[in-house]
Amino acid sequence: MHRGLAAALALLLVAGVVKIPMESALDRDQQEAGFRTAELDFDMRERLTQMTFLAALSGLRALVADMFWLKVFTRFENADWGRMPYLLDTVTSLQPRSELFWDLAHWHMAYNASSWAYHDSDLPSEALRRKAQEEYWELGRGLLERGIKNNPDSRMLWERLGGLLADKFEDHCAAAEAWGQAASQPDASPYAKRFAAYELARCPGREEEAYQRLMALYQMGERERKPTLLRLLQEMEVELDIPMEQRIYKDSSNSQE
Amino acid sequence: MAESEISSQAEPGWAIEIEKLNKTFAIPFRRERLHAVRDLTLQVGKGQVYGLLGPNGSGKSTAMKVILGLLKPDTGRTAIFGQDSSKVESREQVGFLPENPYFYRFLTGLETLNFYGKLCSIKGKALTDRCWELLKLVDLEGAAHRRLGGYSKGMLQRIGLAQALIQHPRLLVLDEPTAGVDPAGARDIKDLIMRLKEEGITILLCSHLLAQVQEICDRIGILHRGELVREGRLEDLIGIENQTELILEGASPEVLKELRAFLEARGVRALRESKPQTTLENYFLEVTGEEGQS
Amino acid sequence: MSEAPRTEALPHAFFSWNRLWAIATNTLTELVRLRVFYFLLIFALLLIVGSLFWSKVTFQQQLQTLKDISLGAMTIFSTLLAMLATSMMLPKDMEDRTLYTILAKPVPRFEYLMGKLTGILLLLGLAILAMSLVFGVTLGVRYFQVAQQLQGELGGATSELMQPSVEALRAEVFDPDLLIAIGLLYLKAAIFAAITLFLSTISSSWIFTVMMAAIVYLIGHFQGEAREYLMLTSDGSWLTQGFLGVVVILFPDLQLFNLVDDIVVGAGLPLSLAWKTIALGVFYFFIYTAASYLAFSSKEY
Repeated sequence: MHRGLAAALALLLVAGVVKIPMESALDRDQQEAGFRTAELDFDMRERLTQMTFLAALSGLRALVADMFWLKVFTRFENADWGRMPYLLDTVTSLQPRSELFWDLAHWHMAYNASSWAYHDSDLPSEALRRKAQEEYWELGRGLLERGIKNNPDSRMLWERLGGLLADKFEDHCAAAEAWGQAASQPDASPYAKRFAAYELARCPGREEEAYQRLMALYQMGERERKPTLLRLLQEMEVELDIPMEQRIYKDSSNSQE
Repeated sequence: MAESEISSQAEPGWAIEIEKLNKTFAIPFRRERLHAVRDLTLQVGKGQVYGLLGPNGSGKSTAMKVILGLLKPDTGRTAIFGQDSSKVESREQVGFLPENPYFYRFLTGLETLNFYGKLCSIKGKALTDRCWELLKLVDLEGAAHRRLGGYSKGMLQRIGLAQALIQHPRLLVLDEPTAGVDPAGARDIKDLIMRLKEEGITILLCSHLLAQVQEICDRIGILHRGELVREGRLEDLIGIENQTELILEGASPEVLKELRAFLEARGVRALRESKPQTTLENYFLEVTGEEGQS
Repeated sequence: MSEAPRTEALPHAFFSWNRLWAIATNTLTELVRLRVFYFLLIFALLLIVGSLFWSKVTFQQQLQTLKDISLGAMTIFSTLLAMLATSMMLPKDMEDRTLYTILAKPVPRFEYLMGKLTGILLLLGLAILAMSLVFGVTLGVRYFQVAQQLQGELGGATSELMQPSVEALRAEVFDPDLLIAIGLLYLKAAIFAAITLFLSTISSSWIFTVMMAAIVYLIGHFQGEAREYLMLTSDGSWLTQGFLGVVVILFPDLQLFNLVDDIVVGAGLPLSLAWKTIALGVFYFFIYTAASYLAFSSKEY
């Protein structure tokens, strides 16, 4: 081995030792910031072929996820729901920071698959079809919750969760929490606070709190005085027996003061 | 040519000095090493044309590469115009033409010279002028804008010579400059070397074509198995001591008879009497030159 | 000839940008004249065909896929370019003996090596720039098509309902973090070029260099796992520990530069994290470049 090569190897060894704490620190910082959280482990290896696993490992994770998504779409078109949860799990594991995948995945399970299970499946009884439908709702909910765990600042996923909890589970208290989280994000939709108040109004035991929120929104002006808000305010004023002078709706003719 | 005549042409001091140069190479999987050059000592005077000869594997290329700084000696020293030849700055004064060079086939002739000129820190108009000057010297003006991939062997050798001259070097190292070139091309290169010699450039020439070496070199060194076995002025080495060549023009048979008698009377033996021959090379050039013209 | 040879040596500059730049531009010219940029046609074709293939899915997914395919293709092409172009450089110069003619000029070896590497970096930069332009134009055209489609679909909705969708679409397309992603892509390719250069200085043929570079690329993506294992556990035989130690020390962690997959789905990269990643990348680049020079400086040709 000539001198130069020996010197080169010595440099690589020394620099190699020096770089280890730098690499560990950067790895930690990146993971804390939510980057590279996809688990490319043995479980994932079993789901992918050798080449796709290597591709995923080498910086083509997004492409591999897209290829799997194409399979999801094909099965959706064929209403082939059997393997869908596995594929959705694979795609979201490959791209855990993609809100779009979590959103579409939950939509397929909680809305498309559940609808098919109830209306179009071969299950013999109403009870079994109902059960299958609810199982798909749960899968959809699980996907959204995992999506939120990976993307806690995602306004969209919180909104979707709020919508799902209200529509399918009729759990208005949890829906209110979800819409509240959506409203607290920096890029919150203008209607998120209203929706949170609407759901709270339907949460047993929290009517007073709901009324306060609805009133606060009312005070913000015409922009927030949507028909649903006004209707709920009127209903709650009666339900909570709000003193007349504090009401917006003074009489039963639905006219505002 | 007498030694005094050589000295008057050459500048004082050495262009190349090699002192006790040893170079070995490792042989894979074997403990012993290949001794490519052993205790080589030689000097090349300024303005000389020095032929470094030897069979394949004799150490010529190794010695040349050490002079050019491409290899480091195990022991010994080499110097170019007094500067240690392992230093990069010593190569400001050296031009090198390797054996069978290809250069960058994607570059044109002009671009090639431009590139090498920039490596020697020549730029701007000075570089452009120098490139065209050299293209004219090596008779490649017409092919200046053609890519080297379309050049013939002879053209490649000529452009190689041009790049070696780009920075006005004081020393030229030429490794087999006429190898694979047709006789006309080889004659052109030989003539060019003679012109460069007349301009005072020192030339170190390695060649297997001994007839050509004989025509142009002042001194030669013969390497064999890494050792310098013979070295000196050409005429001293190959001149046959006790024989004299006399070429006569216009001698009648009677004059020749008288001459033979004269020499015999003085105990001089005439070994051979024949008509001198032109060389095959000259004959070939004469014929092809005529064919070209007709 | 018009003038006699110089009688005194030229003053020699220890380092010359002109010499280095001459070698760099020469390297770039060689690669360009090898028609290496024709791969861009394939890249453009990929984008067009890819978008047709994905036309059935939602428009959000189409935009996402366009970004994924573009950046994925840029990753592949830049990696291949870095590996193949760099691996050929030294062996080709040696085989053609142009290396001798260059080193026989007053060119220090480090300038030759840096010039070659600079040429490769120029090539990579131009290639990535060209691909980015093609990508940008395609994305821009698709944005306008989708925006019009969205207007049509949400035409009757209130501005309050339309606003989040329009903003989300704009944020997805005009994402400045995509530029950082492309920058990191370039950095990773540059690091890989430096590694391949080092391998070519110790290798005897370009095929061997390519094979070794591919292996380093793969192992580099597992180095993080090996490091984590080594630091967290002391299980395993001394042989295992030793082997993993060698991997961790000698190989770079290339996974640290795979942030494109997350950036492309909208994960914002904090500037401080971007700088730290770039700093480590530059460190890798210089170490492997320095190692290349040390190996090359005393190599005999």
